Amino acid sequence: MATTGNKNINSKLVLLGDVGAGKSSLVLRFVKGQFIEFQESTIGAAFFSQTLAVNDATVKFEIWDTAGQERYHSLAPMYYRGAAAAIIVYDISNQASFERAKKWVQELQSQGNPNMVMALAGNKADLVDTRKVAAEANATGFVLQLTCLQEEAQQYAQENGLFFMETSAKTAANVNEIFHEIAKRLPRVQPQNPSGMVLMDRPAERVASASCCS
Amino acid sequence: MDDYEPGPVPSPRPLDRFGFVKPELNISPDGLIKGRSACEYEREERRVRKWRKMIGAGGSDWKHYVRRKPHVVRRRIRKGIPDCLRGLVWQLISGSRDLLLMNPGVYEQLVIYETSASELDIIRDISRTFPSHVFFQQRHGPGQRSLYNVLKAYSVFDRDVGYVQGMGFLAGLLLLYMSEEDAFWLLVALLKGAVHAPMEGLYLAFSFVPLPIFVTEVGDGYFRWRWQKWVGLPLVQQYLFQFDHLVREHLPKLGEHFTQEMINPSMYASQWFITVFSYSFPFHLALRIWDVFLYEGVKIVFKVGLALLKYCADDLVKLPFEKLIHALRNFPKDAMDPDTLLPMAYSIKVSKRLEEMKQEYENKNGKTAESAECNEKQKQA
Ligand SMILES: Nc1nc2c(ncn2[C@@H]2O[C@H](COP(=O)(O)OP(=O)(O)O)[C@@H](O)[C@H]2O)c(=O)[nH]1
Ligand SMILES: [Mg+2]
Repeated sequence: MATTGNKNINSKLVLLGDVGAGKSSLVLRFVKGQFIEFQESTIGAAFFSQTLAVNDATVKFEIWDTAGQERYHSLAPMYYRGAAAAIIVYDISNQASFERAKKWVQELQSQGNPNMVMALAGNKADLVDTRKVAAEANATGFVLQLTCLQEEAQQYAQENGLFFMETSAKTAANVNEIFHEIAKRLPRVQPQNPSGMVLMDRPAERVASASCCS
Repeated sequence: MDDYEPGPVPSPRPLDRFGFVKPELNISPDGLIKGRSACEYEREERRVRKWRKMIGAGGSDWKHYVRRKPHVVRRRIRKGIPDCLRGLVWQLISGSRDLLLMNPGVYEQLVIYETSASELDIIRDISRTFPSHVFFQQRHGPGQRSLYNVLKAYSVFDRDVGYVQGMGFLAGLLLLYMSEEDAFWLLVALLKGAVHAPMEGLYLAFSFVPLPIFVTEVGDGYFRWRWQKWVGLPLVQQYLFQFDHLVREHLPKLGEHFTQEMINPSMYASQWFITVFSYSFPFHLALRIWDVFLYEGVKIVFKVGLALLKYCADDLVKLPFEKLIHALRNFPKDAMDPDTLLPMAYSIKVSKRLEEMKQEYENKNGKTAESAECNEKQKQA
């Protein structure tokens, strides 16, 4: 991967995933280093930015955190179209949220930027540790189930060209790491793209001309 | 009176006068219990007396008064409904009181005996709705339980809409001023349109959109449309379309700047419409907006949105994308003062253009399923 040329990269990143998977918490942890137990639900979408130094370059992430509910789906394309990267988040203690994550991956594969760097985040990894202790004592199937999901996710990510990490917004485990990894994987040379803002072109044009529903 | 009065819930942190935990640094002067001068206090007393007279005991004179003097009512509401009467007046002006009286026992039935497919979704959001308000903070406390009941009841009452994120903020705001059952019927009045046009489209999963390319001739000059496309939250989309145009018409310079910076209203205004300013907006301002919203309808949301942009336009036109997005979600305190912002909002006229742009939007995007079906037969070549 070429690392010469642009030292400052602006990169649009979108977070997608089921309600309550921890999208907002991950951003909050990454951007402000905080965790709030009762994070207000996201209505519409929220914007954040954060800069990372990777090797010889600085990557500035322009992050869109979206609402997760199925019903809000129609608002999502505007945020992922033209995005250079996406984190698809699921909750490791919730199988349904993993299914939802797979749907997002499919949608990004068919509708998103073909060069998009995609990360799959199995969030709330801290729950494993808490439950493990309990499970060892009474041998519930919980840990087994979580372990299965982890293997499944790993395999799914491999097959679909994503990279996979288990994260915890609560303990901060792997949060910086996942953004770092994305930053490293971003294409370094963006020819004829001095401002970096060109990545925003497509969605804005669509919206200006069609407003929605195209 | 059904007004909920926050009891002496022990809280380690100081609260503002609406029951929200005060943010540590940025303390809003309007949220504080201010030492009022005797003069102010008396003026407020007189205002409440006037309102009580207008309403009559338990709202008995209200309809009569509104019929006789709608403009007086409008003027008074625009100045703000006295907080101690707000819950009752909201029920009167929204038409929810009538719904309640016409449907005795229905709410109880919905809460106790019915089950909803949305129960888990609702539970997931309960502790994430107004998490900084004492009434909703306590896990499984009365606030959270009421919120759950209202939302569940609505999701059963209207299974097409079910539960949608955002509704919790509406219900939460109402629950601070009235009982569960009253809040439920007010939600029904709004979404089903007791007085104004129904707003359920804010939350509907989709409405169909005809795709002309799929029109096929079926003989005798009749055409069959194929309803292939659908749009989620159709009314949000329509409102955003209308708002975008209004911004360009009322604030052309800012509109131009937005285009250059690739900002469109769905990036900053969707939650204004979805929650009628009850989400992440100063509460004292939200209440004043709701006073007018319930009496005059959704056009106040457009007016307030435009007034906010207008007030800040000189600053906004200078900002690049990122700062602009931030500014559009964090308006300065002086812009949020109801007594500055609302008079400005009232002076902006939008009704006629809203209607025209609704037509335009429908022509461009097709109508909802029902009205479109009628179209089908008329569509002769
Ligand atoms: N234990 C644990 N809880 C988390 C974690 N991340 C988020 N949560 C909680 O999960 C809930 C939903 O989080 P939120 O970020 O709002 O999810 P979103 O709907 O995807 O944005 C909140 O109550 C968070 O406190 C995590 O890593 N570990
Ligand atoms: Mg969120």
